Amino acid sequence: MKKGLLFFLILFLCLGCDKEASTQKKLNVLNWSSYIPTEVIMDFEKQTGISVNYSTYSSNEELLAKISNVKKGTYDLIFPSDYMIEIMIGKNLLEKMDQSKLHNMKNLNTSYLGLKYDPQNNYSLPFIAATTLIAVNTEKIHDNITSYNDLLNPKYYNDIVLIDDQRIIIGMALLANGYDMNSTNEEELKVAKNWLLKLKPNIKAYDSDSPKNFLISKEASIAVLWNAEGALAMQENPMIKSFFPKEGIALSIDNFAIPIGAKNLDAAYSFINYILNPEVMKAIIESYPYKNVNWLTDHILDAKYLTNPASNISNQAFQSGHFVNNIGAGIKLYDKLWIEIK
Amino acid sequence: MASKKRIIKVVFLLPVIVYSIFLIFLPLLYIFTISFYKSDSYGGMIHTITFENYWELFDAVYVKIFLQSFIIAIITTIICVLIAYPFVLAVSHKKKQTQQVLMTMVMVPFLTNSLIRMYGWIVLLRKSGIINSLLTGLSIIDEPLPLMYNNLGIVIGMVYTLLPFMILPLYSSVSTIENSLLEASSDLGANKIKTFFHIILPQTFPGLFNGALMVFTPALGYFFIVDILGGGKIMILGNLIKNQFLTARNWPLGAAISVTILLIITIVILVYRKLGGKMDDLGGV
Repeated sequence: MKKGLLFFLILFLCLGCDKEASTQKKLNVLNWSSYIPTEVIMDFEKQTGISVNYSTYSSNEELLAKISNVKKGTYDLIFPSDYMIEIMIGKNLLEKMDQSKLHNMKNLNTSYLGLKYDPQNNYSLPFIAATTLIAVNTEKIHDNITSYNDLLNPKYYNDIVLIDDQRIIIGMALLANGYDMNSTNEEELKVAKNWLLKLKPNIKAYDSDSPKNFLISKEASIAVLWNAEGALAMQENPMIKSFFPKEGIALSIDNFAIPIGAKNLDAAYSFINYILNPEVMKAIIESYPYKNVNWLTDHILDAKYLTNPASNISNQAFQSGHFVNNIGAGIKLYDKLWIEIK
Repeated sequence: MASKKRIIKVVFLLPVIVYSIFLIFLPLLYIFTISFYKSDSYGGMIHTITFENYWELFDAVYVKIFLQSFIIAIITTIICVLIAYPFVLAVSHKKKQTQQVLMTMVMVPFLTNSLIRMYGWIVLLRKSGIINSLLTGLSIIDEPLPLMYNNLGIVIGMVYTLLPFMILPLYSSVSTIENSLLEASSDLGANKIKTFFHIILPQTFPGLFNGALMVFTPALGYFFIVDILGGGKIMILGNLIKNQFLTARNWPLGAAISVTILLIITIVILVYRKLGGKMDDLGGV
């Protein structure tokens, strides 16, 4: 019995060694989970003959941990958000991009280029933008939600779902009280904490995986979630409406970036160019209706996307929004506060 | 030929030794080491020796989480004991074959990923879920019961996931009790309750302790149950550690919490030994 086991172990080890013989071109992509439909990747492989190794992560911090702890050259393309680009540039983890090889860069909407986390776009190009919003099931809630402070209404007891993200939720509490979303001022954070404690009885759950399901299954009537989730919920149930509080929403832009020491640079560039194709971007945006940043795609997207205020976020809402910034050691204050309100 | 036997022994043990060194001992050593490092704000670590991370655990915020986790773990363990004992005693009186079938049924859920089983519980427990629809449909209740997204949901999930870890060691120690002992006890006029407390309980104590340890320890750490069935509204040690590694970018603190939990569990085992328990009995699953 034990001998047989040993035999199999050795067999598996041998199988492992044999695999790396082919000289096929490769690309190692590390991306957010559920962000690019599998068909898009398969089409890319068919068109270019490059085989894509696709792995996923679920937070910027997880990405940072992976990139700083693996051997250089393990990944060729990653998708950090705005503030993480800044951190990664600071830690010298990103490769400078050769813009002459990115001919589809011209398809990008220029208002998403040259942002302060990478002013020259030397290290990153925008892929998709996301915002938070408040989605409300208007079958049950007839009020007009115009401010985060409206969520404190005791009528909504045990009826609100929030994304499980400390920066966004504490940021929301800061905004509700008229402070900066990235404040590290202890007095202001204390006010934010008390605000969240007041909100606590109304909170049904914190969920980042699929807060839209709470709305669709009528488990909760109000959700603060990412816009694509809101848009999908609205597609399922037209009575779900989106609201943009006057204090402003949270913004996030995810970017293409190449980690330093990447081995398959050309494959990475052709993948970026491929994704920046208007038709390809359309397929992605239709599956995951975040805010599109490709102006050519804007012309071919269908009405379902364009008329949905949760997917096609208005410029006005976007401009009144706030980015999550890197706050350095201030994160420890947020982390403690998060424990205190949970 | 003793030396040849020895070589064969070592060869067979080698995979286990290699496994233990590389996948248990070295990672633990790493965690232990970094728990004395300092973190910088970018999630990096400064290689010094400091006890700061351990001092920080005395902060009221963290003490609260330790208490919260212990309460949930203790409640889970108690409920598991209350369910497992009657079950195991009932099973042990069945025919050998029936026993095997029943014990296999305890193991079967392990074939499915526990995360998927948690999502299954959502379908049962939520407001519009099967249990609530049934109860409201039969007009037994008017309003759906709050079965999940609260502490009740967490305990249901924990007990469900960890119950087999209580049943298995208890079963193996109950099955070692000689039938003649039970007969003698009843011949001497002891009723069932007396027999349980004077014969069964002392004999199965190692199994009980082993089971309690195997339920209690993971219950401190199963953050996915808290997130899925508890709605992420409270934190246990598992969430806290995960957050230190993934969002707060404070690996040394996360490591210090892990080491502290290990320390507490070790103390519990030492107390068990002091009370006269044998380590060999714990390995008797």
